[in-house]
Amino acid sequence: MSEAPRTVDPKLLEILVCPLSKGPLTYDPQAQELISPQAGLAYPIRDGIPIMLIDAARQLDGEGA
Amino acid sequence: MTELNTPADPSSESPAAAPSGVGATTHFGFRTVKTEEKQHLVREVFDSVASNYDLMNDLMSGGVHRLWKDRFIEMLAPRPGQKLLDVAGGTGDIAFRFLSQAQKRQKDDQPDASVTVCDINGEMLRVGRDRAVNRNILRNIEWVEGDAQHLPFPDASFDAYTIAFGLRNVTDIDLAMREARRVLKPGGRFMCLEFSKVVMPVLDQLYDVYSFKILPVMGQVVARNREAYQYLAESIRQFPPQEQMIERMKKAGLSQCSYRNLSGGIAAIHSGWRI
Repeated sequence: MSEAPRTVDPKLLEILVCPLSKGPLTYDPQAQELISPQAGLAYPIRDGIPIMLIDAARQLDGEGA
Repeated sequence: MTELNTPADPSSESPAAAPSGVGATTHFGFRTVKTEEKQHLVREVFDSVASNYDLMNDLMSGGVHRLWKDRFIEMLAPRPGQKLLDVAGGTGDIAFRFLSQAQKRQKDDQPDASVTVCDINGEMLRVGRDRAVNRNILRNIEWVEGDAQHLPFPDASFDAYTIAFGLRNVTDIDLAMREARRVLKPGGRFMCLEFSKVVMPVLDQLYDVYSFKILPVMGQVVARNREAYQYLAESIRQFPPQEQMIERMKKAGLSQCSYRNLSGGIAAIHSGWRI
């Protein structure tokens, strides 16, 4: 069985919010990240699983937090 | 037992209101550790046992954890169209039971039930997702890595919240329960399955011997990690016993709180509602 790259379920993206600000997220399919503009954080998606941990998020340059 | 966490103001919903400042301490089993350290220690424990986790649970409980989980889902009474958030449910044990029970009750014109599994540990989630694929469960289930204390879901978005053998490992269980209430819809139900306080004489002594002498050795042999299972035994004793747990649930804003002991209190199911 070959491993197809897993993509994140669009239905899942609809129900997620930023765990810090509880604000909306935007999906960056290129970077495989979920961006929280309010918190200035980018949450990685690995292997199709969004990692919604505040301390695992990437700090966005020049904004927020 | 001393509770070292300072309770936060229950009316505050701000994540910034996390109760333990830098330098505060909490329990990691019987060790007292810095609050910010516990999460990492717990994570190491579960990373190291993830692949053996279900086998180890079978050995630990003599297979009884399966019956407890069956009972737990029976009490939840899954129904078609219901949306469940299962926290700390990485390996899918609760999620799979929920989906199959909801399906049994489903008539043709009724919508599917669905479950979102949220676990802080990526390894456990991968084990669960692989198991789901092996069981051909591909629909109505989502996997998210997230923290019970800072859930990545909007207010009032689930009909039910379950946490089975997970709350014990959360640093601030009061914060976790307030988060649970927040994401529940009005009329939604919170249910927790957790090791609890043995209420039968003799059994309590046997259980002590078992968990402090035998269990760590089994952990060493099966999962090659004595400390992880030593931690499990200790963390069970640190968790609030039945009645105390009810008080904490009420403080978190849950209503009609009740519990039921399983196997003489080795485990207990707590239930409460968001009104």
